[in-house]
Amino acid sequence: MALSIGRSTQDLSRRDLSRRRDLSAPWRHIDLVLVVATVALAAMGTLMVFSATKGSGDVADTTYLKRELLWMVVGLGAMAGVALFDYRRLLDWVWPIYGLSLLALVLVVSPLGQRSKGAQAWFGFGAFQLQPAEFAKLALIIALAALLSAYEGHVDLRRLGILLGVAGAPMLLIMLQPDLGMVLIFLAVLMVMLLVGGVRGRYLLALLLIGVVATFGVLNSSVLKQYQKDRLTAFINPANDTQGATYNVNQSQTAIGAGGVAGQGLFNGRQTQLRFVPEQQTDFIFTVVGEELGFVGASVVLGLYATILWRVWRAAALARDRFGQLLCAGVLAFFLFQVFENVGMAMGIMPVTGIPLPFLSYGGTSIVTSFIGVGLVLSVHMRRFR
Amino acid sequence: MESESPRLRLSILAIIVVSLFGALFARLWYLQVMAAPQFQDVAAANRERVIYEEAPRGRILDRNGRVIVDNRTSLVVTASPRQLDQSGHRNDVLLRLATALTDAGTPTKVATLERRLNDKQYSPLQPIPVAIDIPEALEIELAERAEDFPGVEVTRESVRAYPNGPLAAHVVGYVGRISEQELEARMGTKDNPKEADKPYQPDSDIGKAGVERTFEDDLRGQPGVRRIEIDAKGTPIRTIDYTPPRSGNDLQLTIDLDIQANAEATLSAQLDAIKGGVTREGTKTAQAGSLAAVDPRNGEVLAMASFPTYDPAEFVNGISTERYAQLTGGDAADNPFPNRAIAGEYAPGSTFKLVTAYGGLDRGLVTASSPFYDGGCLRVGDRDFCNAGKVAHGAVPMPRALTVSSDVYFYSLGQRFWNQRDEYGDGIQSAARGFGFGTATGVQLPGESAGIIPDPEYKRKLWEALPPDQQRKGDPNWYPGDNVNLAIGQGYVLATPLQLANAYATFVNHGQHHQPNIALRVLIPAGDPTDPRSVVKSFEPRVDHTVDLPDNVFEPVHEGLIGVASSREGTAYDAFRGFDLKSFPVFSKTGTAQVQGKADNALFVACGPDPSYRICVSAVLEQAGFGGEAAAPVVRRVLEPLAGQAQSDWKPGVVRGND
Repeated sequence: MALSIGRSTQDLSRRDLSRRRDLSAPWRHIDLVLVVATVALAAMGTLMVFSATKGSGDVADTTYLKRELLWMVVGLGAMAGVALFDYRRLLDWVWPIYGLSLLALVLVVSPLGQRSKGAQAWFGFGAFQLQPAEFAKLALIIALAALLSAYEGHVDLRRLGILLGVAGAPMLLIMLQPDLGMVLIFLAVLMVMLLVGGVRGRYLLALLLIGVVATFGVLNSSVLKQYQKDRLTAFINPANDTQGATYNVNQSQTAIGAGGVAGQGLFNGRQTQLRFVPEQQTDFIFTVVGEELGFVGASVVLGLYATILWRVWRAAALARDRFGQLLCAGVLAFFLFQVFENVGMAMGIMPVTGIPLPFLSYGGTSIVTSFIGVGLVLSVHMRRFR
Repeated sequence: MESESPRLRLSILAIIVVSLFGALFARLWYLQVMAAPQFQDVAAANRERVIYEEAPRGRILDRNGRVIVDNRTSLVVTASPRQLDQSGHRNDVLLRLATALTDAGTPTKVATLERRLNDKQYSPLQPIPVAIDIPEALEIELAERAEDFPGVEVTRESVRAYPNGPLAAHVVGYVGRISEQELEARMGTKDNPKEADKPYQPDSDIGKAGVERTFEDDLRGQPGVRRIEIDAKGTPIRTIDYTPPRSGNDLQLTIDLDIQANAEATLSAQLDAIKGGVTREGTKTAQAGSLAAVDPRNGEVLAMASFPTYDPAEFVNGISTERYAQLTGGDAADNPFPNRAIAGEYAPGSTFKLVTAYGGLDRGLVTASSPFYDGGCLRVGDRDFCNAGKVAHGAVPMPRALTVSSDVYFYSLGQRFWNQRDEYGDGIQSAARGFGFGTATGVQLPGESAGIIPDPEYKRKLWEALPPDQQRKGDPNWYPGDNVNLAIGQGYVLATPLQLANAYATFVNHGQHHQPNIALRVLIPAGDPTDPRSVVKSFEPRVDHTVDLPDNVFEPVHEGLIGVASSREGTAYDAFRGFDLKSFPVFSKTGTAQVQGKADNALFVACGPDPSYRICVSAVLEQAGFGGEAAAPVVRRVLEPLAGQAQSDWKPGVVRGND
């Protein structure tokens, strides 16, 4: 990939020199609204992670802040790089990328991977960790976009089978970790891309139906561990809570509610600073926003997400080809599901699953893949005329 | 795009996005705008804890400002379960602590410490007291070896101190750990909590008896309140605010410590001296006795003694169940806890003749000068009612009948009251009620008895309450004999020593009946009783009614009762031999009440000095013989200092005397 980026910038500068007035030069069509919204969210995320991790001592703990900033820089760089790279060239790399992502998922459940919080989902590099499933998510978007654009809206059962197989392979590997939240993201991405990719309505309905039946089947079988089932159902049935999932959600809702309209002020959220909400720098980062910045701040954050989703949707609608449109739809599904599930969980209307909030939750891989997602969309958007 | 289908599909996607974001905003609006106040309360409850610090109680003073009940600092060893656990050597620390306590003179087992630490009444945030009143040497040792005792601390706690020992124990009462019922009465239940000015915790102390109980709301201090913020693990982070504890108000009693001390010493010595004497009716056990002294001018209680007594200091660190059982387990007469001066109900015997005499004169049944022939006995129905020893006094008018305590005279009054009840009514009963018998006096002390003034209705009700098989043996009807018995204070009639003193006070006060007061003032903490600015509230004399006492009624009774101590014929003449009655004339009456199958109860009531009375004293000595020989010497000795007389070279014991 580094090679490709190098080449592309050379192309760009050469073209720039030769055709100064070319209005269709890709960088002239960059979606500034999307870039600004993304950077604004990333800045807010950095601040929130600092608030959640600085501790109550006189001297603030900046360990997390420094790492977060580093990841933000890496993420911004990745976003710029991906944006400048012509997305259509990805078509040449679809299967190597997909294959590599599967290999990484296999390796992570081997002894090479690291186990943390009940899931074998990380590769460790000193103080940093990489989560291959996050990259696999992007790989799946690219692979599905490639397949669906090639099918040009004609998806019969055999092709549907191929699509499901391509999506199912990484999902199965992730179940081995196990990381239920990640599997759910893959499912959301799959469904949205099938919808936009032109799969017939009745197939989609059938898949939805199978999904519902399968959910009940899984909940009543022994595929999931009891704690996973309880976590998933605790929001419907708080009395069944055995893992404190209700406790987490109660604390998180309380923190958000206590923020009120104006919030308790940055670094002043009592629930946050006294660490009543577990995982508040990762899965429950939205409670910090809600408690410290109040309805005003939380609305700004949700508004920024809405802006990003609007711009991604717009890029999908304007895309000059099916592949670009499907890439955007995949990224949209990834953001939409993660935001809705994560924020919904923090506010008690969605089940508890460990899904990061893009750009806000602390976690390097999640931040970088979110930036890459935006980068892909920018790339599609910039090249809508050529 | 070429076909319509992708557009439609993107529109569906847009609708999904918009609805999901709509849901998120709606929920956010609910949480942060509509329900924010509730969540703010929940969040506050989450992180805020309140720790109460008990305040020192107010002191209890006598009428001259001398301290009866004080506070002292007790060194308390506390252990913090959290720190013990965090140290990782919980068991070692507790073993070392138990050893140190045992070496310091408080034998302690590790199991005892564990039991205290696991006591549910303590919040786990609070250091839990595990040993109380440790010597200072142990405090120093624990401080020097602090690293051996993580989580163990020595704190100072204010506890009751009794500089005069058990003096006035029944008046002041004692303090103990609040019971569940008391806590519920004051703080309500979990579902239905009550607001309290001075909130109690399950380990708070509360007044259990005496004025500690009746004036609890004044004496109790305002607990200090420390609101702390804790983190999710329960570790205290900071103090949000702190209101220091405020001492309770001081209580100044009407009690005069000099009179009180003299009364207690005399009464107890007399009981000891009499114990074991033999009479016709039985051995004088003299186990119990009591005394009440009031100021007739205002109803202030000057002294109140009850024997056997107890030491309130035993309750300071909580009395053990074994010790309490030992104190209360024996003969009821040996139980030290009832305040017999207000809770003891006794047949008043001849001391009741004041009432009968008043009734007869007031209703016009007799006149002062009309004599009655006392031949030693009076036949009523088929029974002879006789004087003690069947002594015949001959023709006796009212005053002499009182002085010599002629039973026959009063038997006859009682008989005539019954026989002529249509004309004279229930003269004895209504007179008794006028003098305050049959109703609790209303003194500010817990556990007061009302006594009994019997009438035909009372006797019938008593019979009706009997089980059927005993009803056959009993009789619901009131007979002349019942009236005859009542006239000399025997039979069903019962009175408390305080009622007796107060009835005589009412008489010498020309009919003004006070509800006695035990408290003079409530003062600010460490207040000066002589400084009006220290006074929080004063207890004014409480006149609840006035008995009609015209001279023709007052004079004959007065003359007769002055003669009791001063006349050679008087039943307390010997008891007052050597007492300067000229400077301190005494109005008094002896009483000897028969107790079925036991030695008589000795009673004596006296007021002085005539005519400007300052004190009325009643004394009751259970199973101690004649009032004149056993009870009168006690009262005389109590009066001596008040009469400005040197205390006589007194040896406890009976004097010659009767009735």
